[in-house]
Amino acid sequence: MRAYGSGQLLKDVHMKKNKSGHGTISRRGFLQGLGAGAGAAGVLTPGTLAKLPPATQGAASAAVREIELRINGRRRRVRVEPRVTLLDAMRERLRVTGPKRVCDRGECGACTVFLDGRPVYACMVLAVDAAGHAIETVENFGTPKRLTRLQREFVEHDAQQCGFCTPGFVTAATALLRRRPRPSDAEIQSALSGNLCRCGTYPKLLAAVRVASRPARRSQSAASSPGKQHKQR
Amino acid sequence: MAKTNVRATGGIILPPERRTATGELQQVAWENRIVDTAAVEVPVPAGEPPIWDVETRPQVIGKALPRLDGPIKVSGRADYTYDQLPPGTLYGKIVRSPYPHARIVRLDLERAQAMPGVHAIIRLDEADLQHSSAAAAAAEPGTAVAAHKQNGGASGKRNPLFVGDEIAAVAAETEEQAEDAARAIEVEYEPLPFVADLETARQPTAPRVHAGRNNVRKLPAPRGSNGDRGDIHAGLAAADVRIEGEYRTQVALHNALETHGVVARWETSNQLTVWAATQGIFGVRGDLATFFHLPPHRVRVITNYLGGGFGAKFGAGMPGIVAAWLAREAKAPVKLMYDRKEENLASGNRPSSHQRVRLGAKKDGSLTAIEIISYGTPGTGHGAGVGGMARRAYNCANVRQQEHDVATNLGPAAAFRAPGYPQGAFALEQALDELAERLQMDPLELRLKNYREHPFKALRRQYEIGAERIGWSRRQHWQRGEGAVRRGLGMASACWPTFGGPPATARVTVQPDGTVTLTVGSQDIGGGTRMIAAQVAAEEFGLTPYQVRVELGDTRWELYGPASGGSVTITSIAPVIRAAAWQAQQKLLAALAPGLNVPPEQLKLAGGKLHGAGEPIPFARACARLRQGTISAQADRAANYERNLTDMFGAQFAEVEVDTETGRIRVVKIVAVHDCGRAMNRLLAESQVNGGLIMGLSYALYEERVVDRPTGHVMNPTLDFYKLAGTREIPEIETVILDAIDPRSNNVDAKGLGEPPIVPTAAAIANAAAHALGVRLRELPMTPDRVLNALAALNS
Repeated sequence: MRAYGSGQLLKDVHMKKNKSGHGTISRRGFLQGLGAGAGAAGVLTPGTLAKLPPATQGAASAAVREIELRINGRRRRVRVEPRVTLLDAMRERLRVTGPKRVCDRGECGACTVFLDGRPVYACMVLAVDAAGHAIETVENFGTPKRLTRLQREFVEHDAQQCGFCTPGFVTAATALLRRRPRPSDAEIQSALSGNLCRCGTYPKLLAAVRVASRPARRSQSAASSPGKQHKQR
Repeated sequence: MAKTNVRATGGIILPPERRTATGELQQVAWENRIVDTAAVEVPVPAGEPPIWDVETRPQVIGKALPRLDGPIKVSGRADYTYDQLPPGTLYGKIVRSPYPHARIVRLDLERAQAMPGVHAIIRLDEADLQHSSAAAAAAEPGTAVAAHKQNGGASGKRNPLFVGDEIAAVAAETEEQAEDAARAIEVEYEPLPFVADLETARQPTAPRVHAGRNNVRKLPAPRGSNGDRGDIHAGLAAADVRIEGEYRTQVALHNALETHGVVARWETSNQLTVWAATQGIFGVRGDLATFFHLPPHRVRVITNYLGGGFGAKFGAGMPGIVAAWLAREAKAPVKLMYDRKEENLASGNRPSSHQRVRLGAKKDGSLTAIEIISYGTPGTGHGAGVGGMARRAYNCANVRQQEHDVATNLGPAAAFRAPGYPQGAFALEQALDELAERLQMDPLELRLKNYREHPFKALRRQYEIGAERIGWSRRQHWQRGEGAVRRGLGMASACWPTFGGPPATARVTVQPDGTVTLTVGSQDIGGGTRMIAAQVAAEEFGLTPYQVRVELGDTRWELYGPASGGSVTITSIAPVIRAAAWQAQQKLLAALAPGLNVPPEQLKLAGGKLHGAGEPIPFARACARLRQGTISAQADRAANYERNLTDMFGAQFAEVEVDTETGRIRVVKIVAVHDCGRAMNRLLAESQVNGGLIMGLSYALYEERVVDRPTGHVMNPTLDFYKLAGTREIPEIETVILDAIDPRSNNVDAKGLGEPPIVPTAAAIANAAAHALGVRLRELPMTPDRVLNALAALNS
């Protein structure tokens, strides 16, 4: 079980919106049944089974709802079907593209966002369930010209290569440092174990988080830092 | 082209620090870092900037500088293909075969067409396009489309050949609607005989995967000094010691985090714009232009950022063609991004291998014969060879490598970081260790005994440094451990041919406000191309890389650059960037000189200032003297100064702990020593090496595509069941980059680095595990069950 499951946010077992063409109980729904993050015995209790909706997959398209999402302090109205995840609502309807879709099943952490101050996988939360809750994404931490200390250390350590996992790692690490400003190395490893990087940037991002949690170093001279760069495409 | 012979000195530059016998870091003076020098005559083509050699100390190149697009990436603002959403975008979804081989009896679109939000549906079973699989696997980018029916049969239809093969595609207003409509497409299949494993596919009675072709195809064997050579039988006969072993490697899945995909928009009926998750924008452009019968300039391909590319993202491929086709039918932009399962069924993989290795050697360890016979399955694609290690890495007069592709009804292979090499190294490097054991030689000594000399080759130094940093000398009095946990030390070598060269074009402009813009037809797939491009330009202008504006990832400038594969990007584009920047700088100085009343030769740009005309003038103020004039220079990549350049080499050393009760291998430490000619940026080079070896570690211990043979289904096409290494699996890593300066290569002495670091990792871990256990693990991944089985076999 990953360090930051999000299933616990949901009150009911949901059908995953079906991408594979098979009408099954979703993993995210199943995780909810287990109480994600708890590492409890993996059983569906009669109580959770009773809450399962009937398996009427293809017929779901009817109930489009308008909901309000509070993203980075802004209230955004969006029309979604109940099966749409928070991630897809943000990315494909509201153009909040910092959180990435990679595994779409709560394994890789690339879509990590804060929901009411707690890190969750946005691919494991339905948009309708996130309505009314405060959502914070990587876009809210720092801008390219005014990075947070953690983001600066990511840059200085080259803790990103292709960068596709980076928003998720930055968010998960921000969550860690908010919770524990001086984590041990083991705590850093553990807190980031719910995120995957395929470029193999782990040693540097672990180092970046470690340094960011220590007192500030000498400041980098402007000449040797990309802080004053031209806008890049 | 006219050439001038220039005398230049090459050599090895050691890393800036070294450890003393007691382990302390010691800064080494620049002069003492240069070793193994040799002077050569270099034929330099006309128009090239002044040649660099081992004594050249660039101001910007080679430094450990953070990449200039870091701030954009860490703040979530880098715009990848997956993030594109032009107004009115529809979502594309592909219907895929649930059968590994079938005939389509009926395909009914009617119900799907009536579904809400649906704007277009296309059939892919009738399409006159080459199988996407073969396209993805094509060694040369840009060959995704061919005007022949590959698998026609009597009906003229294309039969699906693997689970996940493309049948039809739909575009709808939301992704959910597209999925619903895809499910509503009714397909009636007649299942046909299939084969989903290598062993069965090799049998003469096995169903044929491709009609009219044998499943087993022998790959061409190059001859010559880097190919098959000598007489293998004589070599084996002359040996004092012969060893033989069988090795197996798994099918591995790329799993770049950004999946394959394209967003396509027709600007007019004959003008197409696509954002593509690709390693080669020009390959995508060529494929789409061919498919839609457009002149290439009518297709614009944009890749601002790519979420990882490890060899499978060349050409338009199925996502490119389908997205553009749907967009044309629907008269609206279409976004088609593969989901993780599609990615892992249909976008490529590293082929498996089953290798038989025979080595022969004299008593002193000198090799007399290397023979590899290999079979591997690339699914419906091709390219299951085991790479060039056996032919290139060691000094041996008699080498024979017989490789075979074995077709199966599974998703097509594609190039995957150092295609073939990690597989080949896993077998060859273990066989060498086995030979060393038999000869009671140190494994490193055996490799030195068979060292193959090349000009400016750094491997001997790499062995030295790696051995020192891992503490190889401890091996002489090694204690495996008494309890359940046993410890071992192992190593392996890597090589990768030096590719890269023309064609590539770059343009540099200088504006009166001091803006230096570099435009190059490449793309940054994550290695840091954007940063290195800026560094090379900055070097010529005496600026910092952060003062250079870089334009890349767009075909609209019509400046060609190669696809990023085979470790060619920097090797191809850095020299042409330097040429363009040098020419622009020369023009700039010539333009400024008259106004300053000095000859241009007297002017020099350094430290952000113009020197040579009284008080140094800040760069922007100097440029202001251009008034409205713009300086620009465009250069084409000159050929490498000489052909047949020395390969890149590397050595990795691993220390492992193996729990003999649980069978779990824990890698404690890896030391990786590599070179890439002149390292352009030490920080980025380190990241590249870390990335390669971590991918190699993941391949060694965790990754494996699992197939259900009776149904031909992949059981773990998603990331919850396909295990990748994460933060908890990362050992202590020490990465060392040497400079192996070969002035015969190009004007910045660049070579590649993307591939070599993944080559030796699995082999080094396997050799360390064998050292720990006293029994060899001959199959990847080295999972606990395999470790326990090997131990059980040892004890019985």
